[in-house]
Amino acid sequence: MDLVIRHGGREETVKVRRSSRAEGGYEVVIGDRTYHVDAEAARAGLHSLRLDGVQHEVAVRPHGEDAWWVSTAHGSGPVEVADPLTHLAAQTRGGKGGRRRQTMKAYMPGRVVTLLVQEGQEVTTGQGILVLEAMKMENEIRAEHDGTVTKIHAQPGQAVDMGDPLFELE
Amino acid sequence: MTEIPRRRIRKVLIANRGEIAVRILRGLREVGIRSAVIYSEPDRLGLPVLLADEAYPIGPAPSRESYLRGEAIVQLAQEIGADAIHPGYGFLSERAGFARLCRDAGIVFIGPSPEAIDAMGSKVESRRLMIAAGVPVVPGGKDPLPDLDAAQAAAEAIGYPVMLKAAAGGGGKGMRMIPSAAELASSYRAARSEAAASFGDDSVYMEKYIVEPRHVEIQVMGDLHGKVVSLGERECSLQRRHQKVVEEAPSPAVTPDLRRRMGEAAVKAASAVGYSNAGTCEFLLAKDGSFYFLEMNTRLQVEHPVTELVTGIDLVQAQIRVAEGEPLGPEFDAYSGPRGHAVEVRLYAEDPFQRFAPSPGKIEILRWPDGPGVRVDSGVYEGSEISIHYDPMVAKLIVWAADREKALNRLERALSELRVEGIRTTTPLFQALLADPDFRSGNLDIGMLDRKLAAGELQPPTDGTAGAGEDLPLIAAALAHYERANRTAAGPAGPAATATSRRSRWGAAGRHGALRGGSWT
Repeated sequence: MDLVIRHGGREETVKVRRSSRAEGGYEVVIGDRTYHVDAEAARAGLHSLRLDGVQHEVAVRPHGEDAWWVSTAHGSGPVEVADPLTHLAAQTRGGKGGRRRQTMKAYMPGRVVTLLVQEGQEVTTGQGILVLEAMKMENEIRAEHDGTVTKIHAQPGQAVDMGDPLFELE
Repeated sequence: MTEIPRRRIRKVLIANRGEIAVRILRGLREVGIRSAVIYSEPDRLGLPVLLADEAYPIGPAPSRESYLRGEAIVQLAQEIGADAIHPGYGFLSERAGFARLCRDAGIVFIGPSPEAIDAMGSKVESRRLMIAAGVPVVPGGKDPLPDLDAAQAAAEAIGYPVMLKAAAGGGGKGMRMIPSAAELASSYRAARSEAAASFGDDSVYMEKYIVEPRHVEIQVMGDLHGKVVSLGERECSLQRRHQKVVEEAPSPAVTPDLRRRMGEAAVKAASAVGYSNAGTCEFLLAKDGSFYFLEMNTRLQVEHPVTELVTGIDLVQAQIRVAEGEPLGPEFDAYSGPRGHAVEVRLYAEDPFQRFAPSPGKIEILRWPDGPGVRVDSGVYEGSEISIHYDPMVAKLIVWAADREKALNRLERALSELRVEGIRTTTPLFQALLADPDFRSGNLDIGMLDRKLAAGELQPPTDGTAGAGEDLPLIAAALAHYERANRTAAGPAGPAATATSRRSRWGAAGRHGALRGGSWT
């Protein structure tokens, strides 16, 4: 999973994947640095992160829609996370089962590059709907659930602001 | 001397809230005295209520409709059969009228007499009394200086540097510092014309200007038999806008000889007003070792624990015994100086990086430090709501060790164990102070903290390990995001969760929390 993360004045592309190097293991790549992370939850919101054996206790809790409040031994503050793939999921959180209708919104300012479907088309979970270019990355925006794309608000080449509607999925 | 009646106290009504209510309650329980607390509507589930033997509602959130309802509180004490009222600090603690209400109702007020509160409550009256008693006060006077000759005579008598103040001024306005005789004539003329322009009144008076003084205060305890003793000093120079932030005992600037002299002055001051029970004489301590009485706080102080830790005396329990008419015990006569070193930091629900904006809210996660030499006086627990209605101080963290350096190291260790999530606290300020060379070396004065904050000198220490330390927040947020995405993509029991659940212990507690409506959702 590729993420764009902002913290303080920094903006970094961060890659996360599961890893078998450690129990509870992840591999996190930030720039040219690769961390093998063993992460365990002590309780909801409080985690032990071992980075190559060095232990850090970290508290993490949601801070609005696209950010986390992170507290370490050396301070605390918001960390913004932009993620093309899970943005869909985040928007439908809580809507489990039954018929769902959602307005998919742009998670960051950018430009619509390509439409992958047409209005009225039936799609399945995970199917790409459109490609949004933001922060110099092309991100495929995918369907969070099976349904019909009832309306597409954006056209190729169109610039969108954060929060602008992209399409309706029903 | 008239016989002082002994009166056994069996139940005390605590007319306060928060950490000091808890502190008093603890002192009472250890000596088998029943505790009753009052609470305002938002404090129904406060820690004092949960720990008390009895608890009674006193009104809605605003203090004047609850904790300041003196008559209702005295009436309640009578109704529930309380023998005494402990006022704590703040609220009604220094209101002579309240102490009188108690006395008239036959309830013991755990504190000094209303007459002593009155005498110390007036700046002019207490200064007059202190001068008469031979207690040093800041040299100078409020008498207007009619001409330059009078100003010169006053300055010679006081000694440079001096301060000219507008009689009609206040709040720092209309003040002019004069370093030496050469500047007096021009400053005097300027001060008068400034005062006339600013306040419509050109009278000015003169006081000694004390350069970068320390705030050093003496804890005293008096009994009802006329005996008053000193329990040594507390250094409280670290203040933000006149609000104490860090206190310690002993003061790094106080020698045994100075301690003895300041203690004698404080005892003189207290005796001059017939003081009994716990009280504190505040002094300005100049760099040359001279000290000047500021005022007396006629109550238990917020920072009393540092004195308790270096004297071994439980001040709350001593207050009770004194109020019962007992003479001061042998532990007071045995006091010969501080043992070891104690430091207290006041944990405020304020954001030190947002100009100390209040940070009310729910405490989601709370882990107090523990282990050798650590004491926490707190009025909250995990799940507590920090209300906007009251003082933002949520707890005091106090450490004791054999000497100052060890105590500061211990404080640093304790702060590293402290975990408060959900609200912001002043913890980063203390971490920054612990990295400050002036604080570390005990080089303090009352303006130091404000100066350093204004200059941006106090920065929280960063992890010495480059890379990992700076990347840690990013890593944590990335993992939180990754796990939430996997979870919500298929639901807690869905295929994605199953696929990752084998080792996904980050998510395990998070999912559990989410299902319970915990902090992840």
